[in-house]
Amino acid sequence: MLEVRDLQVAYGQAPALWGVSLELREHELLCVVGPNGAGKTTLINTLAGMLRARGGRIVFEGRDITALAPHRFCEAGVAIVPEGRRLFGSMSVLENLEIGSLVPAAKARRAGSLETVLALFPVLETKLAQAAGELSGGQQQMVAIGRALMARPRLLLLDEPSLGLSPLIVHEMFGAIRRVNTEGTAVLLVEQNVSMALRVAQRAYVLEEGRMVAEGTPGELLQRDDVRRAYLGA
Amino acid sequence: MPGFLLPSATLLAQSILSGIFVGALYGLLGLGLSLSWGLLRLINLAHFAFAFLAAYLCYQLATMGMDPLLTLVAIVPLFFSLGAALHAALARFELSPFNSLLVTFGLTGIVEAVIQSIWTADFRKLESSYGERHFKIAGLFVPLPELVTLLLAAGLSLAVWAVLRYTDLGKALRASAEDAPIAAAFGINRRRNALLLAGTCSALASVAGVCLALGFTLAPSQIYAWIGVVFAAVMLGGLGRALAPLIAGIVIGVSEAVTMAVTAPSWAPLVSFTLLIAILLLRPGRAA
Amino acid sequence: MRTPIAIVCVAVALAFVPALGLPAFYDSLLYLVLNWIVLATSWNILSGYTGYFSFGHGAFFGVGMYTTSTLLARWNWPFLWTLPAAAAVACALGVALGAIVFRVKGIRGEVFALLTLAVTFVVGTIIVNTPIDGGNGVSLAAVPVPVIGPTPSSTFYLLALAAATVTLLVAWGITVSKLGAGLFAIHDDEDAAEVMGVPTYRYKLIALAISCALAGVAGGIHALFLNYVTVGEVFTITVPLTVVLMSVLGGTRHWAGPAVGAVAITLLLYSFTAANYAVAGKAMVGLILIASILFMPGGILPRLQRTFVRRRVAPTQPPALEPPPVQPAAVATGEVMLAVRGLAKSFRGVQALCGVDVEVRRGEILGLLGPNGSGKSTFINVVSGHYLPSGGSVMFEGQELAGREAHRIARAGISRTYQIPRPFGNQSVLDNVALATLFGAGVSSPAAARREAMTWLTFTGLQGKAHAHPDQLNLHQRKFLELARALASRPRLVLLDEVLSGLTPSEIDDAVALVRRIRDHGSTVVFVEHVMRAVMALTDRVVVFDHGELLAEGTATEVMLRSDVMAAYLGQAYAAPEPAPAEAPSNAERDHA
Repeated sequence: MLEVRDLQVAYGQAPALWGVSLELREHELLCVVGPNGAGKTTLINTLAGMLRARGGRIVFEGRDITALAPHRFCEAGVAIVPEGRRLFGSMSVLENLEIGSLVPAAKARRAGSLETVLALFPVLETKLAQAAGELSGGQQQMVAIGRALMARPRLLLLDEPSLGLSPLIVHEMFGAIRRVNTEGTAVLLVEQNVSMALRVAQRAYVLEEGRMVAEGTPGELLQRDDVRRAYLGA
Repeated sequence: MPGFLLPSATLLAQSILSGIFVGALYGLLGLGLSLSWGLLRLINLAHFAFAFLAAYLCYQLATMGMDPLLTLVAIVPLFFSLGAALHAALARFELSPFNSLLVTFGLTGIVEAVIQSIWTADFRKLESSYGERHFKIAGLFVPLPELVTLLLAAGLSLAVWAVLRYTDLGKALRASAEDAPIAAAFGINRRRNALLLAGTCSALASVAGVCLALGFTLAPSQIYAWIGVVFAAVMLGGLGRALAPLIAGIVIGVSEAVTMAVTAPSWAPLVSFTLLIAILLLRPGRAA
Repeated sequence: MRTPIAIVCVAVALAFVPALGLPAFYDSLLYLVLNWIVLATSWNILSGYTGYFSFGHGAFFGVGMYTTSTLLARWNWPFLWTLPAAAAVACALGVALGAIVFRVKGIRGEVFALLTLAVTFVVGTIIVNTPIDGGNGVSLAAVPVPVIGPTPSSTFYLLALAAATVTLLVAWGITVSKLGAGLFAIHDDEDAAEVMGVPTYRYKLIALAISCALAGVAGGIHALFLNYVTVGEVFTITVPLTVVLMSVLGGTRHWAGPAVGAVAITLLLYSFTAANYAVAGKAMVGLILIASILFMPGGILPRLQRTFVRRRVAPTQPPALEPPPVQPAAVATGEVMLAVRGLAKSFRGVQALCGVDVEVRRGEILGLLGPNGSGKSTFINVVSGHYLPSGGSVMFEGQELAGREAHRIARAGISRTYQIPRPFGNQSVLDNVALATLFGAGVSSPAAARREAMTWLTFTGLQGKAHAHPDQLNLHQRKFLELARALASRPRLVLLDEVLSGLTPSEIDDAVALVRRIRDHGSTVVFVEHVMRAVMALTDRVVVFDHGELLAEGTATEVMLRSDVMAAYLGQAYAAPEPAPAEAPSNAERDHA
């Protein structure tokens, strides 16, 4: 469904991704793990259209979207839950969710999508009129995921959803993500919290210093020494 | 220092009313400026020059026989396009708000020169049927041009407020202003929206210009006289808001009018600028 | 020393112009040019050098004018004596304004511009409504013009020439002094400058005071020149916008830039007026302003310099000596140098640090570890003074540092690097480091600071890039520049914030070796890192943060084997290495801190 070939991305003079390749199959929950600074956020942001690649290709559902304008990625069926949530803090929770469904295809199904999101995160029902910036970290993460789901994406991109959240909330979050995946949306998850990520993923890649260094099922990866070393140094 | 006079109730009420009228114009002028600054991060000093250009065009068309309010039909679309075109030209330079202030100041000088070359520096007053009509409401004198200004200002502010609050476009504009890359990731076409907004701000300036032509004497040098007090209204109300400039403008207008009634007209600027200083010192973050 | 001599010589030469017996008109035109030179250059001393663009210059100019006119008309002072008075009053107004405004954080950029503009209108309104002006202006027709030149107009010319000379000398003098170095640093990154030891508040006030005093003098002279002084002339937006235009056109970072702009614009405007195209002149000026902002944001002068002035070949440096030793600490090796107790920091309800206790011993390399968001960077930011703590104490060598201003903490002997390097973009690599030497190590002259900075560049291996600009360096070099800057203030404690992130393995090896050299040279090092092999190789001790609290402390090997630390970083999987992929986590497996 998603094929990334030899992606090269740089910030000005500084290269961040040196020819990264990956494959995501239909309905899959794929995880990309890696230490801090490996380039995970760069990868996700490029797949969402926020960064332009210097080289390589992104093919989504058979269509080459590498050079698409940033605002067209959402129409193409890709939605992002960015690192640090990045909600529109001064706007209400409901407005944030509505922003998720601005593209025509999603707008037509806005009411239904809203119901789905509220079913997934019931606590948001009472917070709809509140400014998004006033919510707790966990609730903000729910809104961020909800916002992306409102776009009715066929591929959901998540960048470190557990960042700064307490383990209990993280647990709930990953539960919701798994539910979204089982209901048919493909998910690409990028995480530092290795164990949680590997527990929900069907397949994973390991990214280190801008390069893919390993690939496999979570079981395979956890046994590998080089993965342990990258994280613990021992 | 001139003495304080205690005016009669009618005089005071009349002062307050005229303060409301002039305040409405401050608000109308401030509306486009506030939207541009808050949502586009551009401080458009040329806003005032455009308003005056529209005022002069209205004057010209009216002296040639057209009904002043009808000139809006021609003027508004013209300035919408002008504003959008200007934005298209400047957008690729990615100017900081401060640099946009400087560039538009340069533009103001150019527009002022154009106005002066066509209409000279002489004072021009639009003589129209509007200017002669007035109403008497509750014993107070209500001139028609000023009433028209108030209605236009209120109507447009409400319309803009409704668009920003309730429509998808309004939400998209607010989201873009807050976090542009994420807004784009959700399908918001920044470039197109920015052109729309820039055009609208200029169109609003042109409406203010027509109101200016209706009620005031025009001279190219007058462009600069409004800058200070309108900025005060914009900052008092907060950037990127629709109703706030109008309310703030009226507050300033009324305080100025009362000051003038109680002391002397030359003290009036003190009110708006002291308010502006106070706002800037106490809440500088509102400008960010 | 060549520049001031050149300025004085040119001034002396120009002093003979009246002797040429040209028509009075030329004296007046030249007077105007010189008047604008003073105004633009004086404005630039604050606004160009620091980046605080003031729109209030009209107020100070006007206050000078009215001081002189009041003293002349009311109290019959001799004209020349009114000039120092005009300077003093304008200066006092400026300092009073600055004392308040510079204290409020967040008043920069367009807010500062608007504030100063508003002050202009307020002052103007007060003057016009009080007996100072009274609405009718002040006539000075009865005041005799002192006889300095052969004719009255030449007298003004000579006075303006003197004022312009002084102004240019002052502007030049500042650029080569410590004050100037500080002002330019404030322009590029005020917060980093403050942390580096620049007394930003004081320096901004000094620059403002000088700027206002010079404008006041110009106003005093102009009052008598005009003969009839009104508020409307001066207390408007036109004066400040014109000086902005002149300075931006000529180049705000150069002492002569505004003068170049002043000459160009005044003569241009004049030529249009003379040819009866005054209106077109205004349009032309507007066009020039637009063009210079869009296409030549640095101004004419730097562009000319780049084209015509060949870069002086740097004389071969004698081999740089070893960098100066770190000042002897008040504490012996192995003793506690920094004692942090109960340090807390919250941002709008989010607790980033929840009361941590950390000790740093002299001579050690301490690692600060923990997952993302655990509070490590916040810790560094609070200890270095970048943020104020919400609670707790920071005792450094017996002094309480919590709550102190950042530049005082820097002076106390602590310095830091930033995770994302923040060099001063408009200055060379050498000057970046020299600033730290000048303000952090207390070296008195910029020249000596540069020499010492060179030794630090050699220490970090950057000596070949001394004259390059930071944006010409790659990430690795920029990180080392950060290090050189942090070291140049001769700190006893260095706080490094993820200095290795983004580097290739071999660059990491270089960096590790450098950090060791830093410790061996005499500084104590605390560093935040994620790169584990560096942590293993370098640290004597580590502390681990998690969710704003201290989780563990000990040697690196001990700590990283602890199950709670592993859980914090990696989750339970490493504590119980049974892979359980893609299964719904059961209630029993819920992990908790």
